[in-house]
Amino acid sequence: MGLDILFKIAGVGILVSVFHTALKQAGKEDMAHLCTLAGFTIVLLWVVQLLGKLFNTVQDVFKLF
Amino acid sequence: MWLKLAGGIVIVLVSTYVGFQMAARCNGRPQHIRQIGCCLASLKSYIHYASLPLQEAMKQCTQGIHGPVAEFFHRIANILEEHSQQSPQEAIQTALEEFTGKLLLKQPELELLELLGANLGIMNRQEQVNYLTMIIEQFEKLEIEAVRFRDLNTKMYRYLGLCGGLALVILLV
Repeated sequence: MGLDILFKIAGVGILVSVFHTALKQAGKEDMAHLCTLAGFTIVLLWVVQLLGKLFNTVQDVFKLF
Repeated sequence: MWLKLAGGIVIVLVSTYVGFQMAARCNGRPQHIRQIGCCLASLKSYIHYASLPLQEAMKQCTQGIHGPVAEFFHRIANILEEHSQQSPQEAIQTALEEFTGKLLLKQPELELLELLGANLGIMNRQEQVNYLTMIIEQFEKLEIEAVRFRDLNTKMYRYLGLCGGLALVILLV
């Protein structure tokens, strides 16, 4: 795993915050929250995959199961 | 690597362009509503004081106004001249169908224009003037609302266009 995933997550975070601000200024609070939720879901998908890899590595290292 | 970079730049440019186009449409709507209001005020004067026939008044009322709104009124006048059996309502509906993409209007304005056609040219002069006054007032209200909508949404469309492209690039890379 490189550092690129961290930069991707940071990029999504920055863009989601810009989306949120722009939509909130336009009076569309519900869309702003929806957008934040979408960004969170995308990042969560990436992180869950990484967590899966981490658990597999822990299992291999400690010879569990 | 270079292909990815070029693709990313193209995506960002296209999404920014789409965002700016939507902002421009948002900007153009109050202007078109204002121009239609001016044309109707002028039309009211031509009907009230000059007693011109409708097609002639429609042509004259666009003096000093350019762009799609003037073309729209000219088209109505042309339809009324060419097909004299058509009512003003039918002429306005035909012209509206032809100018669907050019006029930056939304449903309330389109309904108001159709309503205008429903009572134009059938009542006496005083009633038509009263009716036009009412329609012009409605257009003024719609213009205020359109200006408020423009102030709120123009920046948002620009930001969303650019940031949407960037988000797409991040997701695809």
